[in-house]
Amino acid sequence: MRRLTSIALLAATLALAAPAVAQVRAPDGAPNPTASSVNEEMLFKQDPKIHGRISIPNATAANLIQPQGREWRQFRESWLPWIGGLVVLGMLAALGLFYFTRGRIRLEHSEESGKKILRFNAFERFSHWMTASCFIVLSLSGLNYIFGKRLLMPLIGPEAFATLAQYGKYAHIYLAWPFMLGVLFMLVLWVRDNIPGKIDWIWLKQGGGLLGDAHPSAGRFNAGQKMVFWMVVGFGLAMGATGIMMIFPFAATDINGMQIMQVIHSLIGVVFIAGILAHIYIGSLGMEGAYDAMGSGEVDLAWAKVHHDLWVKEQQAKTASGPQLGRGQVPAE
Amino acid sequence: MKAFLVAVAAALVLATAASFLLAENQRFAYQAFATSGARVSDPGNNLVGPRWTGDIKDPGQGGHHKAETGS
Repeated sequence: MRRLTSIALLAATLALAAPAVAQVRAPDGAPNPTASSVNEEMLFKQDPKIHGRISIPNATAANLIQPQGREWRQFRESWLPWIGGLVVLGMLAALGLFYFTRGRIRLEHSEESGKKILRFNAFERFSHWMTASCFIVLSLSGLNYIFGKRLLMPLIGPEAFATLAQYGKYAHIYLAWPFMLGVLFMLVLWVRDNIPGKIDWIWLKQGGGLLGDAHPSAGRFNAGQKMVFWMVVGFGLAMGATGIMMIFPFAATDINGMQIMQVIHSLIGVVFIAGILAHIYIGSLGMEGAYDAMGSGEVDLAWAKVHHDLWVKEQQAKTASGPQLGRGQVPAE
Repeated sequence: MKAFLVAVAAALVLATAASFLLAENQRFAYQAFATSGARVSDPGNNLVGPRWTGDIKDPGQGGHHKAETGS
């Protein structure tokens, strides 16, 4: 009896299913033999990837289709150029607006103008410039990954662009190493002076002196500089870690993991570029006297007393108790 | 300026060193993945030869011609 019931149920199921199968036809009404064949959607219901067996010792080549790849491609080709463009151009626009409304922050002259105080020693400047020069090449070659084929290739042609992109890729991979070393040097050199404190909160509440004429007190680094420091260290290490994952493909993660690394790397990269644009602005065009700190290493004492008064006091106290300046430098008092 | 120039020179030296170290750990696909039973796109011994450009002028004959001259 149970067997008869089963057969009856099977027959009823087939009878119901038959019209559905019969309805799969081509637009002209002819039967479509490929309609019921195995398709991509059906395969994905069995397994998240479409893969097979291969005879070469490269297991990753067995993957034919991986669905997340489409999401990555959608991000890479649609979202990323928009996000990157908005972040970088938005920062440039904001800096331009700031420059034309606030203007250049001028050096305030006092009786101490002309006297110099050592702000960064030779090794500090070396570490900064090694990181900075690498960062500029990494940024340009990184932006070329996103915008090159859209903006540069129509201008210079595919062959010149291919050569440029190839050398840009070499530069990106190889200069990443001195960049990472520079970030580590700066971390060790300046971490002690970049620990956030109560004074930083006061500096931030007063707008850092950027928005008004006030000059809030600051130690060797003010809160804005501390934010740049932690951004460089945090983003630098994150870019290094995600970059290494891509330089050594499949060493630590699978294809999906590498796509995620690329997404993180690119998103941090464009925010990093925007942040450093602000840093370059305030260290050169935005504030008179600021560039000297990384240029010659010595800054005007009047400038230092206005922008880093607590640090100057600390240095002068050290001078009082013994020499802290190098050879050929004028004491700050 | 001196610190800047030394920094740029150091970056170039380190980048060059990195390029050699990375090249040491890298092999071409035909070296890494070829087996006694599978040949992987070896540019020296593949079917079209090392000088094949892929630029086929005449679709009717070009492929054969390039393959013959290249090997």
